[in-house]
Amino acid sequence: MTIISLVLVFIALFAFVAGQLLLKKAMDAANLSGFKSPKFFWPLATGVFLLGAQFFLNLGLLQRFDLSFIYPFQGLSVIIIAVAAAVVLREKLSIQLVAGSVLISAGIVLVSLTS
Amino acid sequence: MPNKSTGFANPWFHLALSVLCVAACQLLLKLGATETAHIASERWAWTGLSGLASLYVWLGLPLIMLSLLTWLQVLRSIPLSIAFPISQVPHVLVPLCSWFLLGESITGLRWCGIALISLGLALVAKPVARLEERL
Repeated sequence: MTIISLVLVFIALFAFVAGQLLLKKAMDAANLSGFKSPKFFWPLATGVFLLGAQFFLNLGLLQRFDLSFIYPFQGLSVIIIAVAAAVVLREKLSIQLVAGSVLISAGIVLVSLTS
Repeated sequence: MPNKSTGFANPWFHLALSVLCVAACQLLLKLGATETAHIASERWAWTGLSGLASLYVWLGLPLIMLSLLTWLQVLRSIPLSIAFPISQVPHVLVPLCSWFLLGESITGLRWCGIALISLGLALVAKPVARLEERL
């Protein structure tokens, strides 16, 4: 796998996580201040755009790699969420979270060696 | 008295449907990507846009919508700390289907990696769901 492909994998991953979190923000805003609020519209629009970008980047990667090679990388998304939450909520990561993240990362390294 | 949690309105049915849609969608996108790989121009291949020429990709789109809608339904009645770990099942399902249905040859090293990822996800899914609820 080339460096460019790896970078694309990570851009797709971050777009996926950010898109999902923004959609969640939009839904929370809709519950609080209604569907006409800009606090609903902008996170929704950005979220949909990011998920759309992820869709096409992923499609482009699938044209060049096995599904069983590309899909496992999405396991990293839970680590990104955990780290983002720990930073935003100013909370220490539990041992369980760290141990699981290490296992996932090790697994990703093994998979990435097999292209 | 109509019971809202039976049959097709059962949230566990929605959860299963959501998981199956995610996995099926990945398989369809892969079929579509394989079919269109040769028409992708060298310069714009990374955008994946040429995949739109495949019917498989268009079949995958309604599945994405369905997985999203069923997931929103799930979140109304099943706590995220239970639903989220189950929503990680595609990480086992997709490689198995890639091997069994698409005939991808998966080396021992890649299976080991997939097993480690699944094990790690089983460990972190619940605490991550708890964190995400407050994010």
